Amino acid sequence: MAAPDRVAIAAAGVITPIGQDLEAFWSALITGASGISQIERVPVADLRVQRGGEVKKLGRIKEWRGVPDCRATRLLVAAADDLCAQSAFRPLPLDPARVGVVVGTALGGVEEGEKALAGDRTRRRLPGALYDAPGWNLARWLGARGPVITVSTACASGATALAVGADLLRRGEADAVVAGGYDALCRFVLRGFNALRSLTRDEVRPFDRRRSGLLLGEAGALALLVRERDLTGPRLGTLLGYGSASDGFHIAAPEPEGRGLERAIRAALAGARLSPAEVDFVSAHGTATPLNDRIETAALKRALGPRAHEIPINSIKGSLGHTMGAAAALEAFMCLLAARRGLIPPTLHLEEPDPQCDLDYVPGRARAARPRIMLSTSMGFGGCNGALVLEAA
Amino acid sequence: MHAPSIRALGLLTGDRACDGSADPLGSPAAAPRQATPILTLARPDRPGDRFRRATRECLLALAAVDAMLEDGKAPREAIAGERTALLYATTAAYGASNREFVERRGGGTHFAYTAPAVVPAEVAIEYGVTGAYGILIGGAPATLRAIEQAAQLLDDGTCDRALVLAVEIFEECADLYAGHRRFTRWPLVETAACLWLERGEGELRFESVRGGRGSPAPRGGERFAAGPLADLREWLDRAPAGPLELSGRWRGERARLRWSMLTSHPRGSAA
Repeated sequence: MAAPDRVAIAAAGVITPIGQDLEAFWSALITGASGISQIERVPVADLRVQRGGEVKKLGRIKEWRGVPDCRATRLLVAAADDLCAQSAFRPLPLDPARVGVVVGTALGGVEEGEKALAGDRTRRRLPGALYDAPGWNLARWLGARGPVITVSTACASGATALAVGADLLRRGEADAVVAGGYDALCRFVLRGFNALRSLTRDEVRPFDRRRSGLLLGEAGALALLVRERDLTGPRLGTLLGYGSASDGFHIAAPEPEGRGLERAIRAALAGARLSPAEVDFVSAHGTATPLNDRIETAALKRALGPRAHEIPINSIKGSLGHTMGAAAALEAFMCLLAARRGLIPPTLHLEEPDPQCDLDYVPGRARAARPRIMLSTSMGFGGCNGALVLEAA
Repeated sequence: MHAPSIRALGLLTGDRACDGSADPLGSPAAAPRQATPILTLARPDRPGDRFRRATRECLLALAAVDAMLEDGKAPREAIAGERTALLYATTAAYGASNREFVERRGGGTHFAYTAPAVVPAEVAIEYGVTGAYGILIGGAPATLRAIEQAAQLLDDGTCDRALVLAVEIFEECADLYAGHRRFTRWPLVETAACLWLERGEGELRFESVRGGRGSPAPRGGERFAAGPLADLREWLDRAPAGPLELSGRWRGERARLRWSMLTSHPRGSAA
């Protein structure tokens, strides 16, 4: 059987609390900047935790004509604007029917539903609440007329979207795919995580002994995926493998041994036809909840064996919060930028090691390294586990 | 891509009217333009404390899997383990729990149930399904893509069996849907279905095009993502031979799945 087509990540665009384009995002990660602040866009006075990774102003786009007044859609369009600025992808340089859009989200346009239930019966408000609405809005903005797919594997959604986008290319359903993830901070999710009591009043401290929970963030993160054989210009890297697995354990808590994540990692490496010994760097899910980081450490040790102790592992959630549907895509881009720039961003606010988290999590400051093969892991509600394997350009 | 064989299909479909009327659907051809009737599915009873707070869409998903196991005369152990993949498709089943969380100021447990991912998660927990998974949001094309993804996972050896689950419920948001033409052209029929696929012979072809206007009246009412599985149930019940074509439309996308040389297991033979 012929080897499947290799899929390149030709370019990427982002909007995040620490930077409104890929370069600013990278600079903030490397310098240890924090995007955590008091939330201002929605009322939070009644919530136990009132901070998060909020994008204060969508400054990239001056003219929103034709774009619905929907936060989730606008985050996506802002990320797409950055992507297009770097890749000259708008107006589309190829047949629009051959351009696909695949986005991952945990929340879709749920804020539109909140508004509709609060009495705003604007014609588009309720249809905008369907979780696939922002993806279709993005396709319209791009002018793409190929497949439009929304996936919602909770906080692993960004990884799933990149994988589904790559599959569209391998099956020949599209010649280019804009794929990634997004989610907006809104009352709905802030109130939900507040009720779950999984938010911290402290800093987000992945893998630190004192870690006490996560903070939420909002972001959009999109990649331009193209078959490598069709690519003529530069690329950020290659998407080599993807794996997924269900925990089958609990709707909101991870399986205590991390067996699901371990299976997802093994599947991703198998898809990439690589062994654990070939992995040079891991971008961990690293939410900074007491359970997640311990479980993830255990899963990485089992899946990677001795190699887990030899390679750097980081989490960028201390910098921008947990951006839910966007997180895995942002972390994949961080991996590729680390390889290109020869620097691994630090795990912000990791100061006191936890004996149960005894791997090398890059504390303190950025580290010089030039990884070639990178693994990015994700875990989400419902026991969704995802893993991506990426190769440097 | 190889066409998977059909091991079993469980289907639950709405049979009581939201407003208590006797014959809310009438003939589908006559149904459009009326105030939207909704045929609803009752909340299934399920013993056990674990299901005390489970949402109706989750319980319907479990009931659909039970129906599938019954159809295949298979024990629940037959689908357990990491060699079973689970693909879930819905358009709006999460709307009910989202609404309840917003309006009733629900707590943390309820919040977890607002995620679309929790519907297949309940299936995974209940039946021990721990293989690859996917969750697609959209109308009928999402389910057709889920079947295509299942076939791909079977083809490349990622799994030995794949379940394609689709759930749509409408009752809790009936007043919201009433003002939107997308939801009012045809009677809405709540549906939960689960399809069990295994490796097969022949060819599976998925096609999708954008554009074009109008769509034919869906047989028996609008089921959105669950529509293709209801159509498949009808096709199987006709004891068919020859190729199968499933199709559906959503937001201007028309998708079609052609299944040549379809094979299905004799009922109960492969458990």
